[in-house]
Amino acid sequence: MDINATRLGRRDFLRGSLAAAALAATGSLAACATSGTGTTSQSSAPAGQVSDTNPFGVQSGSTVDAVIFKGGYGIDYAEFAGKQVEAKQQGVTVKVTPTTKVAQTLQPRFVAGNPPDVIDNSGAGLIGINTIRDQLAELNDVIEAKNYEGTVIKDTLYEGVTNPGTFDGKFIVLNYALTVYAIWYSASLFEQNGWTVPKTYDEMLSLGEKAKAKGKYLLGWGKEAATYYQTMAISSAIKEGGDEVRLALENLKPDCWSLPPVQDVFNGLKKIIDAGYIKPGGSGTVFTAAQAQWSDAEQFVLYPSGGWIENEMKDQTKSGFKMTGAPEPTVTSNSKLPWEALHSTAGEGYIVPSQGKNVAGGKEFLRAMLSKDAAVNFAKTKLSSTIVKGTVPPDGFGSTALQSQVKMLEAAGSNIFSWNFVDLYGMNTDQLVVWNSFLSGDSDVAKLTKGLQDITDKVAKDDSIKKVQVS
Amino acid sequence: MTVSTSGLTSGGLTSGVSAPSGGLRRFGSARWRKRNLTFDKITFFLVFLIIPVAFYIAFVVSPFVQAAYFSLTDWTGFTPAMNFIGLSNYVKLFNDSTFLQAVANNVLMAVVVPIVTLGLAMFFATLVTVGGSTRGNVKGLRNSSFYRVISFFPYVIPAIVIGLIWSQIYDPSAGLLNGILTRLGLDQFASFAWLGDPRTARWAVMFVIIWGLVGFYMVLFIAAIKGVPAEVFEAARIDGAGRFRTSISITIPLIRENVQTAFIYIGILALDAFVYMAALEPGGGPNNTTLVMAQELFNTAFTKGQFGYACAMGVVLAVITLAYAGLVFAVNRIFGGKSEVGE
Repeated sequence: MDINATRLGRRDFLRGSLAAAALAATGSLAACATSGTGTTSQSSAPAGQVSDTNPFGVQSGSTVDAVIFKGGYGIDYAEFAGKQVEAKQQGVTVKVTPTTKVAQTLQPRFVAGNPPDVIDNSGAGLIGINTIRDQLAELNDVIEAKNYEGTVIKDTLYEGVTNPGTFDGKFIVLNYALTVYAIWYSASLFEQNGWTVPKTYDEMLSLGEKAKAKGKYLLGWGKEAATYYQTMAISSAIKEGGDEVRLALENLKPDCWSLPPVQDVFNGLKKIIDAGYIKPGGSGTVFTAAQAQWSDAEQFVLYPSGGWIENEMKDQTKSGFKMTGAPEPTVTSNSKLPWEALHSTAGEGYIVPSQGKNVAGGKEFLRAMLSKDAAVNFAKTKLSSTIVKGTVPPDGFGSTALQSQVKMLEAAGSNIFSWNFVDLYGMNTDQLVVWNSFLSGDSDVAKLTKGLQDITDKVAKDDSIKKVQVS
Repeated sequence: MTVSTSGLTSGGLTSGVSAPSGGLRRFGSARWRKRNLTFDKITFFLVFLIIPVAFYIAFVVSPFVQAAYFSLTDWTGFTPAMNFIGLSNYVKLFNDSTFLQAVANNVLMAVVVPIVTLGLAMFFATLVTVGGSTRGNVKGLRNSSFYRVISFFPYVIPAIVIGLIWSQIYDPSAGLLNGILTRLGLDQFASFAWLGDPRTARWAVMFVIIWGLVGFYMVLFIAAIKGVPAEVFEAARIDGAGRFRTSISITIPLIRENVQTAFIYIGILALDAFVYMAALEPGGGPNNTTLVMAQELFNTAFTKGQFGYACAMGVVLAVITLAYAGLVFAVNRIFGGKSEVGE
C-alpha cells in the first residue's frame, strides 16, 4: 500500500512534468513577452554646431546607428551613403546593420526606448507605421535642408513623393526608391506578334484571344502576389472614377468596394478570368515561379507589378525580353483621369525615431542619401530611380524597364496618385485569400466585393486601431 | 554501501533518502534540522532544485504571466506604454471569424495528424520488429534495419526544408506530383493547384507533416517494442494469435505509455505547425483553410501591431494545448490506463 502510493506519486509527478513540457512547447505564448520595459528618454537637442554644411548639428565623434532592410536592393547603397556622411562630417561614424525582419528585430528596441537613429522600414516584415507613428521625428527639415551640392533638397525631388509618407499632416516617412506601378510586357514579343498594349479591359480581353491563338495565356499570378491584381484594379478604378474612389477606399467608407468604377473593373477582370485567359494554378504557385513563367518561359504575356520586377527577375529573364511597362488600363476611354495617369509611390520607407540617441545623425544620413552621388549610385546599381530627379540618363543604364519608367512618369505629369490603406492597416494578408480564390475562378464579383468589404469594415469598426483621415 | 557513504557524508544525504518513511516524521524535529542541513545538502538543494526552479520561473513562468497580463491590454508592441482594457481582447477574439477558423483548422489537424502518423508508425514498427516470418524466433521483416534507417531520413531534414521541398513538388505547372499524374494520363491534374484549392490544401499540408514525422515515431515505437520480452510475443503466437491480434492485444497495451507520450508531442506539434505553414502556405491557404493559430498570432503581432490582442491568441492557444494534453491523459485512463501493464 505504502509502496503503491509512492509509485502513483511518481507517476503523477511525471504526468505533471509532461504537462509542463506541453506548456513549454507552446512557445508562441512566451514569444509575446517582452525583455523588459525601459525608460522613455527624450532625445536631446542637437549637440553639435548647426551650420550650412551641418544643418542638423551632428556632433563630431558621434555614431549613427542605421538599420537597413536587406531585400531586393541589398544594403550596399546605404553603406555608400554612410561613407558620404563620414566624408562630409568629420569624426562621425556610420554603422550600417542589415536586417531581413525589421519588426521582429527592432520591436524590443522600441519598447526599451532605444531605437536606431535611422531605419529602412521595408520588406514583408516591416513595422506597421500606424503602430509607431507617434514615435517618429518629422522630416520636414531634411527636405528643406541643402544637399551636398548646395541645392535645397525639396527642389530636387519628383512631384508628390512626400505624400505617401505624410500622416495626418506630419511628414514622417521618407520613401526613397521611386516605384512605378504598371503592367509589364516583353516589347520584343509584342513587336514580333504585332500586338499593342491594351488601354482598357475590353482591349485586354481581345488581346487574351490573340495570345491564346499563340498558345499563351494573357495573365498569371503567384499565391503570395495575388493582390498585385488588387493594386491594378484599384489603380484602374481611381483613373476611371477619380479622386472620390481613392478617398472612399482610403477612409474605409462603407460600401467603398461597391462603387461603380470599382465594380466595372472587377467585372472586366472577371470576363478575362471566365474566358480562361489567366494561367490556372496560380493560387498554388510561389510568386517568383509564377513570374518566371512570364519573364522566362513566356507562358503568359502581361504582368501587373511594381518597377522592382526587373531587378527581382534579373536572373530569370529571357535574353532579348525587353521588359517594358505601360500604365494600367482604364475601364472606358473617357475616364476621369487619362490613361497616362500613373500609380506611383515611393518604397523603402526611411524613418528616424525621435527617441534615437542621434536624431541629427539619422537626418544627416538621409541628407547624404538624397544628395547626388548616393542617388545616382542607387539608380545605377539598382536600375531603379530614387525620388531624386534627373539621376537616370536617357538610355536608362541600358535597361528598357527603367527607360519606360521615366517615360511614363514624364507622360503622367501631375496625374500621379497613390494610396496607403492596405499597408497602413496591414490588410494585405487577409486580402490575398480573397484574391486568390477570385483569380482561380472559384468566386465571383459579388463574393470578391463582400470579402474585401468585410476586411475593410473589420478595421473600420475596430476602435483600437487608430485611423488616418485622408483628404 | 549505505554505511560507508553515510560515513563520508556525515549521514546527511543518504539517511534522508534511504529512510523515506522515517524522514517525514523526523522532518520537524530539531535533530533533523541540525543533522540534515549540512553543506552537502544545501548545495544539493541549490544545484538540483533552487537553480532549476529559478531558471524555470525566470524563463518559463514569468514570460507566461507577462503574456497573460499583456493579453488584457491594448499594447501595440512598439511602445513602453499600454492601457489595461480587461477582457475585451477575448471578447473580440471570440467574434473574430478568422481566428475561429484558425482554431478549427488546428483542431482538425490535432485530430488527424496524430492518429494517422502514429497509426502508420505503429504499423511499420510492428512490421520491422515482430511482423516477420512466423517460423523460428520472433523477428521483423527481412532487411528491417534498412527500412528503419530509410524511414528515419525525413526526420533528419529540418521542417522548414521539408516545407520548401514539398512546395516545389506541389507546384501546379512544374511540380513533380502533377508531372507524374499527367504522365500517367490524368490530364485533369495539369496545373492543378494542390496548395491553392480549398478542397485539397489542408490535406496536402497534413500529408507533408505526416510524411516528415512517421519515421521518428516509428523509431520511438521500435525502441519501446524491443523493450518488451520476446517471450510474450512467442507465447501469444503459440496461442494462435495472428499479427493483427498480437499488435492490438499485446504490443499496444505493453507500450501504452510511449503511445501516450507520442500523442502529446505530436498533438502539440499539430497545434503549432507554424514552420510547415510558413513554408507551404504563408498566406493561410485558399479561403484560410490552412491558417493556423500561430500564423494568425504572428501576423496580428508583427504586421498589424496589436501585441495585446496577439497575446490573447497565445493564451487561447496555450489553453487549447493543455486541454489537448488533458484529453489524451483522460482517454488513456478510460481505456484502461490504470492496469499499468507496461510499467
